[in-house]
Amino acid sequence: MRRRDVAAAIVAAGAAVTAGVYRFTDLFVKHYPPTPYDDLLVRLTDREQAARLGAKVPDPFDLTTQAARLRSGLHNRDLAAAVNADLAAGHMVEVAGWVLPETVVLLSVLASRV
Amino acid sequence: MSTFLDARALPADTVLEPDLAIIGGGPAGITLALTLASTKLKVLLLESGGTSFDPRVQHLYAGEESGYVALDVGRLRTLGGGTNHWGGWCRPMDEIDFEAKPWLPYSGWPFTRKALAPYYPRAQALVEAGPWIYDQKGAAENASEGSVLPLGEGGLYTSWFQFSKMRGDVLPTQFGKRYEADLKRAANVTPLMQANITAIRLSPDARRVERLDGATLGSNGGAGKRFTVKPRLVVLAAGGMENARLLLASNDVMKSGVGNQNDLVGRFFADNPVPRDVATLVSFAGPLAPFYGSTQTLDDGAIMRATFAPTEAFCRQKQVLGSLSTVEQPVDLDETGKAAVITTALALGVDASNAKAYSLGCGIELAPDPGRRLVLTDDKDALGLPRLKLNMRIAEEDFTRYHRTLRELGRQLLASHTGMLRIEKRSRGDWLKEWGHHHLGTTRMHADPKQGVVDADGLVHGISNLYVAGSSVFPSYSASNPTLNLIALTLRLGDHLKKVMA
Repeated sequence: MRRRDVAAAIVAAGAAVTAGVYRFTDLFVKHYPPTPYDDLLVRLTDREQAARLGAKVPDPFDLTTQAARLRSGLHNRDLAAAVNADLAAGHMVEVAGWVLPETVVLLSVLASRV
Repeated sequence: MSTFLDARALPADTVLEPDLAIIGGGPAGITLALTLASTKLKVLLLESGGTSFDPRVQHLYAGEESGYVALDVGRLRTLGGGTNHWGGWCRPMDEIDFEAKPWLPYSGWPFTRKALAPYYPRAQALVEAGPWIYDQKGAAENASEGSVLPLGEGGLYTSWFQFSKMRGDVLPTQFGKRYEADLKRAANVTPLMQANITAIRLSPDARRVERLDGATLGSNGGAGKRFTVKPRLVVLAAGGMENARLLLASNDVMKSGVGNQNDLVGRFFADNPVPRDVATLVSFAGPLAPFYGSTQTLDDGAIMRATFAPTEAFCRQKQVLGSLSTVEQPVDLDETGKAAVITTALALGVDASNAKAYSLGCGIELAPDPGRRLVLTDDKDALGLPRLKLNMRIAEEDFTRYHRTLRELGRQLLASHTGMLRIEKRSRGDWLKEWGHHHLGTTRMHADPKQGVVDADGLVHGISNLYVAGSSVFPSYSASNPTLNLIALTLRLGDHLKKVMA
């Protein structure tokens, strides 16, 4: 076997192992395809549950505009601080009857629509 | 010791001449009779029924309704009246309940809560609800496992009901049974059973009551014996519907009915809607303290249960009315509910792994509405008295006001990191099903005769010797159950009558 073929085989094997490890860790941390809102969605600890909640918000929902609002609200502060600010200001939204902070709802809708 | 007389045993065409005739042996009538028991006044307490339920007598209540329960349901024509089937829930009205609110037409009492305050302890004793510890911080908490759910700053707070308890496991106090012996002991009080008043007869100038026409139910299904009562003074205490009925039906001198010169008698009928399952409350930390979902008996005998009430500041600022939201039972969350709890708790950085969900019920106050009205029909009962028809309705604003309150409770739970809330009932129509059977407002109290049937003392405007007692005089209503409050109001009337009849 030529050295070039060996190197190619090693690279291929490495890639396969890496892919396998990546898929294996998916059991613990879900991996999602990239979206234009990943800087926001990364704030969600459980994106699947958020998506389930967000799916209850009826359309139309302007993702671009709402994402911009979210970025503004989350600028230089963590999610809990933004949510507490919503609660203090009374920025609440009802989703399927649940009285929720606006930031949680907007993030959940993004999670459900991408 | 006096005994209970039975009107059926009176000689034909008997004329009774007491100082005071009380029409109705419910909680108001019995309270008034008891408070006057130590006086020299000859008191006649007229009760349509007897000491036990009789369906023939009860049928005298039947009428027409739209959007409400049948008119012979929710009241009892038996000595003790509604206390024979009440739930024993007691809570005094708040100061704001008496206020005239600029944003709420027809609201406000002709006096403040201070006028009733001296009578509440005696009312509490009569309903046997134990020591007065409403809203006494920590009273139930100290006697029970678990603590009050922190709500933080906001529009609602944990308030308390106390419960009437007659004796042993008999709960609550049934006035007819509980005070039968006291009434018999009172030498100056004559309770007359099976005694229906069919008309209030005024003097020709309509300035005073001259006599009351009475009748018993005959064995043939119609009127039996007739009798007449000629009292110095009359107190009408027959309940929120029957008070209006008797005034409207007594129309030989005043053609629109006694005290109805301004077309107010029967209007402003109200009840407290008590819909179940109005919301789901999630406690992040797990089970709520037991005093939320059921009654807890304290060492001193008080029986208490927590409720979520709006603060007076919130009521004024957000223009909401009274409401009392009470935890009912544990419920399971659906998948959306679980997603809402997980997502929100994680966003707040709160551990909700032991979260527990409960359904909420409520009792709410309606806005005064002159169109919610009792009128007479052409149909007559066995004694010839026209039956009633109730036009019931709830305004959209009554629903949206309580919705605002629930939304604030949801916000507060989240802000204090203790839980969250789902509002279950989404439309006004969901509310029109369950009622507290609190019949309020039909002979409303107001200093101005153009706005009220009775004055601040309960005296019918323009008539010198006719008073009305009970919750029919409430001009605005509160979310608190009326029994304790109407008893306090009746005790106040008793003191007034002692003065004017001395």
